[in-house]
Amino acid sequence: MFSTKIMMPMVEVKEETRDITFKIFRYNPQIDAQPFFDDFNIPVEKGITVLRALNYIKENIEPRLSYRAFCQAGICGSCAMKINGVTKLACTTQVWDELENCAEENVLLIEPVSNLHVLKDMVVDMDMVVDKIEKYFGWVSTKMPENQFGKKEFNIPEEEFKLYDAATDCILCASCISECTMTKANKDYITPAVLLKTYRMESDSRDSISDKRMDTLVEKNGVWDCTHCYRCMEYCVKHIPIMDSIHHLREKAIETRGKTDTAGAKHADAFVKDIQSKGRLVESLLPIRTNGLMWTVRNMLPMAFKLTKKGKTPPPPFLMKPIPGIKSLRDLLADLKNRNQTTHNGKGGSK
Amino acid sequence: MKTFAYFMSCINESMTKELDKALDQWEKDFDLKFIKLHDGTCCGGSNLDYVDPKEFLVINARNIALAEKENLDLVTSCNTCLLSLRRAKQELDSSEENKTFVNSILKKQNLEYTGKSEVKHLLWVLNEDLGLDAIKAKVKTPLKDYKIAPFYGCHILRPSSLMGKDDPSNPKSLDQLVDVLGAKTVDYKSNNECCGFHTLLVAEDASLNIAADALENAIETDADFIVTPCPLCHTVLDSYQQKALKKRNVKDSIPVLHLSQLVGLALGYTQKQLGINRHIVSLSK
Ligand code: SF4
Ligand code: SF4
Ligand code: FES
Repeated sequence: MFSTKIMMPMVEVKEETRDITFKIFRYNPQIDAQPFFDDFNIPVEKGITVLRALNYIKENIEPRLSYRAFCQAGICGSCAMKINGVTKLACTTQVWDELENCAEENVLLIEPVSNLHVLKDMVVDMDMVVDKIEKYFGWVSTKMPENQFGKKEFNIPEEEFKLYDAATDCILCASCISECTMTKANKDYITPAVLLKTYRMESDSRDSISDKRMDTLVEKNGVWDCTHCYRCMEYCVKHIPIMDSIHHLREKAIETRGKTDTAGAKHADAFVKDIQSKGRLVESLLPIRTNGLMWTVRNMLPMAFKLTKKGKTPPPPFLMKPIPGIKSLRDLLADLKNRNQTTHNGKGGSK
Repeated sequence: MKTFAYFMSCINESMTKELDKALDQWEKDFDLKFIKLHDGTCCGGSNLDYVDPKEFLVINARNIALAEKENLDLVTSCNTCLLSLRRAKQELDSSEENKTFVNSILKKQNLEYTGKSEVKHLLWVLNEDLGLDAIKAKVKTPLKDYKIAPFYGCHILRPSSLMGKDDPSNPKSLDQLVDVLGAKTVDYKSNNECCGFHTLLVAEDASLNIAADALENAIETDADFIVTPCPLCHTVLDSYQQKALKKRNVKDSIPVLHLSQLVGLALGYTQKQLGINRHIVSLSK
């Protein structure tokens, strides 16, 4: 018996490592008068996620550091936090990829998500989200009588599932809530994640409580209060087209359920009417048509004086000429109306 | 000579007439020509797309087809018009069914949508078609005394899947333009935030809150003025400024300029020629 000795070539295996500072938001309301930032300097290999770096800090340097995490694979939605100012999942974000977004070289800024109450460090109170899901009936209430439960199947055709396939990808991580313009301005706002959930339930044929849900949805703080800023959709960690769902809810509120007696619906309707009559928006009438004369006088009059002084008031309708081709535009719109084609564009939350 | 079809945004025909006035002044300086599409309609203002998705598609196909008829790319200087037009274009270019449907209607008006015309924002035309070097070469009065807060607004950045020019978390295009015009930009976190315009009439308090956040943030940086590529943002930030800041008891104010006016200033036009005197908050320097 003989043995061959295999010689390993002398290659120095050099792990790529960098010293990186984690500037981490700290706050324990029971002890700290004010939130503050702690700096932790650690060596980080290429490929390491922010979550693993935080685990390292917690295990080796600061055991009191608090954050939520579970699946480590972008599934459970618990590890959302702001990384260099943008809300992301810590478990799917690599530290090295973030280096180009650092305001200070090699210093990663870690903060809790915005718009939710901080319980400790990166741990936020999700009750606000749960309360809103409850307020907007974020579940399917089945039409099936109870005595049929377990006896009959509820078949969902594939076509229907496509409507809410993407919406069901939501992991309730609250990244969109953290980035939402309207939630920041008004804490009572429904929030994008709950709008998405509402859309998902509204499109389910098994559901029987659409009336209640839509009634609540068109009230103040609901679907009409969204500013169309597209931040939720831009930052959704699952790339769900949230805005399409919001559009669908609005469309449903107006078309299917006739909920047109809201400022939002009247505002939207003005665009249709004006395109028909002038081809352009009659801006001078928009406030009155949306909110009525009293509101307009109370809210707009002081500003109107200033605008008039600068020649900025929009022209009244009788001074607004329609576009030169208004006649052919009206023909086109009439033609469109006559066709009862059912092609629909942009299925909300569908892939 | 570079020629484009120019989309006439409703607001620029009413409240922010000065935006196009400024553009009219200096287009010749760059050998640019913007042919106004007088027959274009309202883009639907980010409302029509859900009130009547089909009408939204058809009227914007018509708007783009008017530019195609002239063999020109379509330029707009309003962020929300950009969103509507590009969204419609995407829905048309990605679906033969949609295209066939709109063309069956447009045909009767002697129009056809083919998809050959691009839809661009004025800022993109300046940065890409004209180029920063060419702009720099024409600057007569560098804006070196000014510190400027660029406010991008939403629909020129988001959804990035539809716009794709700037990183929506860290946009640069407007900053770069300000830079070649000789001014300094300030770094402030509101530069990519929403102005609140689209809910002004529906949720006024919250909208004014949104505007006040951006305004206060810009004021804190000590900027001389804000510049924005969107007339809707301009309307909130200028016309509604006092109302928004009053709620916060902020006494300071900050002028807001349109992109077209900023370029005009650097080319040596007067505030009056550029319609800056029409703004509610005046620019003193
Ligand atoms: S689009 Fe609407 S829901 Fe989404 S972030 Fe903006 S305001 Fe919030
Ligand atoms: S919609 Fe997207 S960002 Fe919002 S909670 Fe769901 S997965 Fe997270
Ligand atoms: S730990 Fe579950 S999503 Fe990050």
